[in-house]
Amino acid sequence: MILAVLFANSVGNVLIERFNGVPAEERLHWRSFLVKLGADNLKGVKNEELLVACHKSVYIVYTMLGDVSIFLVGKDEYDELALAETIYIITAAVKDVCGKPPTERVFLDKYGRICLCLDEIVWNGLLENTDKDRIKRLIRLKPPSEV
Amino acid sequence: MAESSGTTLMDLISADPTPVPAQSTSSSASSTASQPTSASASSSSHLHHPMSTKTTLGEKKSKRATLMQIQNDTISVAKAALNPVKANIMPQRQRQKKKPVSYSQLARSIHELAATLDQKSSQKQLVNHVFPKLAVYNSVDPSLAPSLLMLNQQCEDRNVLRYVYYYLARILSDTGMTPGGGIPTPNWDALADIDAGGGVTRADVVPRIVNQLTNEATNSEFEFHARRLQALKALTYSPSGNSELLSKLYEIVFGILEKVGDVPHKRKKGVFGTKGGDKESIMRSNLQYAAMSALRRLPLDPGNPLFLHRAAQGVFFADPVAVRHSLEILSELATRDPYTVAMTLEKLASPTGALQDILHMNDVLARVSLARLCHSISRARALDERPDIRSQFNSILYQLLLDPSERVCYEAILCILGKHDNTERHEMDERAAGWYRLTREILKLPEAPSLSSKDKSNKTKRPQPLIKLVMRRLESSFRSFSRPVLHAAARVVQEMGKSRAAAFAMGLQDIDESVHVNAFSDALDDAETNESSHPEGIRRTSSISAGPGRSDTIASLLAALMEVVRTTVACECVYVRAMVIKALIWMQSPDESLDELKSIIASELSDPGWPAALVNDVLLTLHARFKATPDMAVILLEIARIFATKVPGKIDADVLQLLWKTCLVGAGPDGKHTALEAVTIVLDLPPPQPGSMAGLTSIDRVSASDPKSALALQKLVQAAVWFLGENANYAASEYAWESATPPGTALMMLDADKMVAAASSRNPTLAGALTRLQRCAFSGSWEVRIVAIQALTTIAIRSGEPFRLQIYEFLYTLAEGGVQSQLSEMHLSNGEDQGASGTGLGVLITPMLKVLDEMYVGQDELIKDIRHHDNANKEWKDEELKKLYENHERLLDFVSMFCFIPRAKYLPLGPISAKLIDTYRTKHNITASTGSTDPAVVATGISDLIYESTQPAPAASNSSGLDDDLVNAWAANLGDDGLLGNNAPAMSRVNEFIAGVGTDAPDVEEENVFSRPSVGYDDMWAKTLLETSELEEEDARSGSSSPDSAGSVESSISSHFGGMNYPSLFSSKPSSQATAKSGGSKYQSTYEGYGSPIREEPPPPYSYSEPQSRESFENPVAGSGSRSYESDDEEPRKSTGTRFGTALYDFTAGGDDELNLTAEEELEIEYEVDGWFYVKKKRPGRDGKMAGLVPVLYVNQS
Repeated sequence: MILAVLFANSVGNVLIERFNGVPAEERLHWRSFLVKLGADNLKGVKNEELLVACHKSVYIVYTMLGDVSIFLVGKDEYDELALAETIYIITAAVKDVCGKPPTERVFLDKYGRICLCLDEIVWNGLLENTDKDRIKRLIRLKPPSEV
Repeated sequence: MAESSGTTLMDLISADPTPVPAQSTSSSASSTASQPTSASASSSSHLHHPMSTKTTLGEKKSKRATLMQIQNDTISVAKAALNPVKANIMPQRQRQKKKPVSYSQLARSIHELAATLDQKSSQKQLVNHVFPKLAVYNSVDPSLAPSLLMLNQQCEDRNVLRYVYYYLARILSDTGMTPGGGIPTPNWDALADIDAGGGVTRADVVPRIVNQLTNEATNSEFEFHARRLQALKALTYSPSGNSELLSKLYEIVFGILEKVGDVPHKRKKGVFGTKGGDKESIMRSNLQYAAMSALRRLPLDPGNPLFLHRAAQGVFFADPVAVRHSLEILSELATRDPYTVAMTLEKLASPTGALQDILHMNDVLARVSLARLCHSISRARALDERPDIRSQFNSILYQLLLDPSERVCYEAILCILGKHDNTERHEMDERAAGWYRLTREILKLPEAPSLSSKDKSNKTKRPQPLIKLVMRRLESSFRSFSRPVLHAAARVVQEMGKSRAAAFAMGLQDIDESVHVNAFSDALDDAETNESSHPEGIRRTSSISAGPGRSDTIASLLAALMEVVRTTVACECVYVRAMVIKALIWMQSPDESLDELKSIIASELSDPGWPAALVNDVLLTLHARFKATPDMAVILLEIARIFATKVPGKIDADVLQLLWKTCLVGAGPDGKHTALEAVTIVLDLPPPQPGSMAGLTSIDRVSASDPKSALALQKLVQAAVWFLGENANYAASEYAWESATPPGTALMMLDADKMVAAASSRNPTLAGALTRLQRCAFSGSWEVRIVAIQALTTIAIRSGEPFRLQIYEFLYTLAEGGVQSQLSEMHLSNGEDQGASGTGLGVLITPMLKVLDEMYVGQDELIKDIRHHDNANKEWKDEELKKLYENHERLLDFVSMFCFIPRAKYLPLGPISAKLIDTYRTKHNITASTGSTDPAVVATGISDLIYESTQPAPAASNSSGLDDDLVNAWAANLGDDGLLGNNAPAMSRVNEFIAGVGTDAPDVEEENVFSRPSVGYDDMWAKTLLETSELEEEDARSGSSSPDSAGSVESSISSHFGGMNYPSLFSSKPSSQATAKSGGSKYQSTYEGYGSPIREEPPPPYSYSEPQSRESFENPVAGSGSRSYESDDEEPRKSTGTRFGTALYDFTAGGDDELNLTAEEELEIEYEVDGWFYVKKKRPGRDGKMAGLVPVLYVNQS
């Protein structure tokens, strides 16, 4: 199960967060831990370079995309390799929506559409669509005859 | 409080402009209305430019007038009018000021814009401004549902509809307790209850939403297809507690699958999204995907054959996501009912079946689920009668080892190794069999491969042993630059180590890692025969001595792999390195060299970048390794010592001490001595040198460069001293209730040299422990010396002779040191003597000495009485036996105050009293609890510890891998904790780690506060909710103080010894005066024999006024102790405010937090802590310190 998806900017403010199966009192801990993890390790990291962390049986994969950092927390079948696949899909979708590696301003301009993309990719803690063309079609409710 | 988003999300909300003046509004409305209703190039270009207008109710009249005027214009006039209006918009936008928008404003906008849905501007406003801002919040108001439903029914714009489905799903999934994330909002249902009249709760709107979405999900019209998919998806967010709703959902999903599920060969004709596909096939594929996705989210229905049938249908679908969901459902069903699933999938598992096609599908997670499915079926006991099915699924599982994706290959490896679903079910035999399979079985490709698999079969023409495939794959993975791949590869090696350790622990007889791997290639027929005759578990394979090909062995393959694993320590990611160290710990064999692993760990722990949670994870791995392989107890203690000496400030002291205890018990009779040495070697290491970097990577040097580490190290030393005292008797197998020292031995051992020699020859372990504890009582910090004295007392009470007498003499000399120092001329002539005074320790030692004195006096009296009765040849009278028994019980009560002893077996009067006491018990029918009659258990005294323990033993936490004796010993020692109390928190932490449960985040060492005031945030309820939760978290974080703290030790000691003041029996007995005199001379020789003079300060001045009789040596110590107690009672225990005082004596600091004192030095007393004053000096001392802790007794308060 994918426990958390978190987007943060360079100074540690959380832009989007989605939790699945995490109690409310633990979210604050996860939020502060992930932001500190990014602050400690994401300096000097190249774009879309994957970093990994682990605590007990919970795995964390995080990366930088433009000015935005993306954190994924998973457990059980979503280990660090499955999270790497998922974060690749998310970065591809975000780049497709923003048109380029996003700055914070562009990310916030496309906030609603990014939320819809995230809703298509991670659905109830499970990875759903892995094709960005299909994600785009589902977001726009295109009829099946149109390509 | 908008804690999670800060100012950036407020910037997003501020993007909405304020309402423009009425004149501009009229102009914008006019330009909007003049656009033609049909889609055209000009209109579509305008749609992408957000219009900065906001419609209000007051503007409706002007709109109507404008509409009337425009009807008479021509298209060309309208086009001409667009240009000047467009030019005018830009200056207007620049002048608008940004203003934050609250949630209530967004909700109001939705209601207003939904009411004016026919206007194009309303739709643009919704899509571009209102809906994105609403996504910032973490829950959706149920009162929005009517407007959203109206938009759903009336609107045709796909952009608006997509957002409508999104928010309807969020309303359905919002349970009010666990929102999805974002800026917090208040509890809508609670607000609706307060606002009784107009409030809307989720209970009101959920049925309507579900009803409408259900109608849409069953609409099979072509134009409605895309909306149907979204409606079905939104329905899966419904609350799962409603059984009626669930049955309706099942009905919808099964209905869809019934229509679209009967085209088995659809996949080969077309793929989803291909331009050449026709409309019908695209719609069918989409419906298959949507139905399987919905089925995946519904609760599992194992007993329903229709559910299983519909899930199995998904294997044939063309859509890869649908196939993935189908396999995930099937793998979950297979863990519960593998036989039924195997029967359903029997045809698919053949070499020409559908499961073979999935091997070449491009969805990675589908193949991961396939690996789990094959593992569940091939390991099921229900399929023992069908080896052909099992071999088919096994074949598919082994082929997944050749998968190009690391994720699938690693999942296949873990399935073969017996690891399943990350839950440690203590199935040692399953893991042992997994290791056996990996090292013995051979991959055979199917005999009838499909076209696409022919390429792979060309590469691997001959069958390959599984172990070689796995090793080759892992070695290539460790050369990758991707950190998740490195981390996952190290984790796979760790799991291999776990299975290998389980195989060794189970004692599989066929494990011989020096056998050539290629030998099994020529034993294909034998392997097949063995597999059919022994379908489950362990198989014996005939080994051929001379095999063709390379001379690879399992040992050489493992050695090559471990070499590659060690080089991964060079990775810059600290988590990858931690996983590598865990893998190395698990792959360590008992007979291999440990130096390389220890040096790697010592180098790694010197890196300050390691977070404390990660260090403790590796420490918990040592616990897990001990549970799997108890034989490696001593090796694991050696590794744990590096943690104790390198990073004392980061490790969890409770877990470390639990590791000490369990490994000591698990070491067995042969390893006890070595285990105790490994734990307490830290006491022999030289103290850390401040600022020295030379010893950072050295194993045999303590590294504590910062104050926090130094304090933690001191506490660890105290814990080690306490551990040594508490467990030395167990490690040495020396107990007072089992020694049979003859009566006359004690007198003959009064010679110190003979006594020390006898102790060393009899039990070197205990003698070494005593030597170490005695040195700690002399040196070290004040707390360490207190713990050392207490540890020596514990050993003295529990041990027989000559150890008890040896400790007695040592304690006596230590307590007497002050008087000796006073009387010696060396003290008067040597002004530089700054040794710590024994007066403080004397206060602690006196009650301990009293107990030992009472025991020795009792023994002397008993010997005298026995000699008297033997000479007179008289029988013991009942009243004499009663007096003896009462004395026995009284001494038992005294001794029990200091440490735990088995009262049924302990004989404070010596072993010769056993017969008499048993006679008295038999005569008066006194029932004493007797231990187990098992000789092995009685020999170590464990059974009595079990029965006499007042704390229940945590038997539930015992692993099934340990034998019964180890389990009993473990429980006994856990129940034997005196000062530390029960180790329940550490035990639960260990079990949590091994089971892999819990999703709690590690604690952040530095508190990151993200609370920033929300300017436009006007919901007070959310602040109240957040503040309440924050307070709860703060309470949880405070926790209890460490049981190893000096305060708790001091409190325990004072509570034990505060009220005891025994008179000296020696001084009041004229018949034993001669014995005291000779003992005194022996004490003097013992004092000189230690080689290090006790530099004790004299006792307080008021004790000088008493005349000292040289004839009795005990009296001055008792007298000064007694007066010290009185003076302690007179002094105020707690002080408020700053006071002044003067140092009475010189004091040498024993730790970093203590302060050196010089006699007559003026001090400023800050506060008092458990017998210590925190004082400040007028001038800095020789060491440059200005403030620190000093004992209360050393300060004269003014």
